[in-house]
Amino acid sequence: MARSQSTDPPVDLLGPVQGEVSWFCCGAAWGPCSTTGKGACGTCNSGSLQHAWPNTSDACWAITRPDSCGVGMSRRTCGFSHRTTALCSGTSVVTTIADCGPQTDLFCGERSCCGATCASNRLIDLTPAAYSRIASLSTGLRPCEISVP
Amino acid sequence: MHGIAAPQPYVIALFLIWAALMKLLSRRMRAQAGQTALARLVGAARAVPALRIVAVLELAVAAALLLPPASPLDGVAATALCAGFLLYLTYGRLAAPASSCGCLGSHARPVNWRGFGRAGLLLAMSVAAIWAGPYPGGATLVAVGMVEAIALLALSAELDHHWLTPLRRLLVRVRKPLAVVSPQDIPLEVSLRLLYASPAYCSASAWLTSDVQDTWDEDGRRFVVYAAHGRTAVFAVPLSGGDPSAVRVALIEEPALT
Amino acid sequence: MTSRRQLLKSAVLGGGAGVVAATALGSLGPEAAFAKAAPDVEPGTPDPNFAEGRIRSIKDNTLFVLGSNWVFHRIRVVDGTSLWKLGPVAFDQAKPGDGLYARGVRMPDGVLAAESVWFNIVNVKGHIQNITSEKVHLDHNGKQILCHLVAGKSVAVYSDAPPSADLSQLRVGQHVQVLGAWRPDTNEVDIATVFSPH
Repeated sequence: MARSQSTDPPVDLLGPVQGEVSWFCCGAAWGPCSTTGKGACGTCNSGSLQHAWPNTSDACWAITRPDSCGVGMSRRTCGFSHRTTALCSGTSVVTTIADCGPQTDLFCGERSCCGATCASNRLIDLTPAAYSRIASLSTGLRPCEISVP
Repeated sequence: MHGIAAPQPYVIALFLIWAALMKLLSRRMRAQAGQTALARLVGAARAVPALRIVAVLELAVAAALLLPPASPLDGVAATALCAGFLLYLTYGRLAAPASSCGCLGSHARPVNWRGFGRAGLLLAMSVAAIWAGPYPGGATLVAVGMVEAIALLALSAELDHHWLTPLRRLLVRVRKPLAVVSPQDIPLEVSLRLLYASPAYCSASAWLTSDVQDTWDEDGRRFVVYAAHGRTAVFAVPLSGGDPSAVRVALIEEPALT
Repeated sequence: MTSRRQLLKSAVLGGGAGVVAATALGSLGPEAAFAKAAPDVEPGTPDPNFAEGRIRSIKDNTLFVLGSNWVFHRIRVVDGTSLWKLGPVAFDQAKPGDGLYARGVRMPDGVLAAESVWFNIVNVKGHIQNITSEKVHLDHNGKQILCHLVAGKSVAVYSDAPPSADLSQLRVGQHVQVLGAWRPDTNEVDIATVFSPH
């Protein structure tokens, strides 16, 4: 039985939330991605403007557990749109949910900074196509703000 | 054969009891039942009841192996159960390769060669148990039983965090396999992270349209070049000191590159 | 040192500053910066200004790439294109069989004029199963990836601390993210950056 979620309102319902953004590959692509598959929604592709969200279902929540890091995220299902804005550059990209992730609870308290602006906890993962719109892929991990467009 | 067969029922039974108790009592295991190959086989909603049924079967076979009277049928029952385990693992590997076993512990890692090795060993032991008589004796047979038990434990990935991980950590502490041998070159990534922390980068990052085009070191500084909407952004990052505010930036209109 | 480098060096040391001068940005304008955010591509759909796949062949300055969804890409590399293969590299480092991601501008003839190309770049998260001589054994979704420490290149970032070339603080059993360069047709990766949460 999945544990019930936090009783506090999810922070992303109250307004834009700051956290860390990384990128991942999906679809039957090259390298370690060759056996990844098309994600929890069955539609994920590295070349599409998509993202992974930590609360797409009870099963997803059981894996990502952002509440372990003190962050509650609202339930959003496949196809829902979010805007991810890179902190300090201000560039942003709008993507739709295509997978479950990141594993927030395994990186609790981790911080990333751009200039003097920092954010904690991994809250969203973008496909390479989406991440490269707001940062170079070689940065790997960046602070960001997540909002609903 | 009779000799070797003697300790088998005891080792197998203890293992089955342990596996059954984990399935019945571990809340974490029930919570992760949905990620096992069993859930794929019977449906996620029936995964937990299915786990309980398997646990009851394991307890029944363990009881038959331990309790008198000893009979070859005990070994046959164990063989059937272990053959079932092996078939289940094969199904899991083929139908849901990313799913976990749900056999003994609550880890969610997929089945690998160790899982198959353990199931194969149990099957071999069960076949040997068919010839086991009652009341084995002798230190040699006890030793055989203990070796088999250790082999089963070593093949159980669920237990790695109790012994294998601490052992590996100790070896890493002793051997220091990642120690920096010659820290002369400062990796580019060190300079880039300092760059990302600088006000210079913050003010220019919205206009950068490429990753690092070029970089070189000179006079205690590392120069890093990016494209910026038809212009060129060049940063000068100090190689020592680590103060982000010491990073300088300029946006340059270059002569046309042919 | 090339004359281009001399030009750039004197520009930043002579005319550079702690932040980009507003006058330097004036002609660019904020609309240029945020053009990337403009809703020109439907969210959830393939981005035409992005390509991924493996290099099939290289002719002159064009990469012929087969994407994972059987789409064929022609990617043109010019002097201003940044190329990454565990760090900035020259065009002669591109090899058939390399995987890549590329971002640029799609031309009317279908060619992608590349602004950035990343060869074999991967960003994998997993548990450290073991650490042996200059290698980190990573469990990535049940598959093992062998990550190689590259002297002079690999760094570890421990949360927001300054990165270090010293990876010895990584512990067996912890979870990490490895950004690196895949060695084609193997399960091995050269480490550029290891991100550790603590």
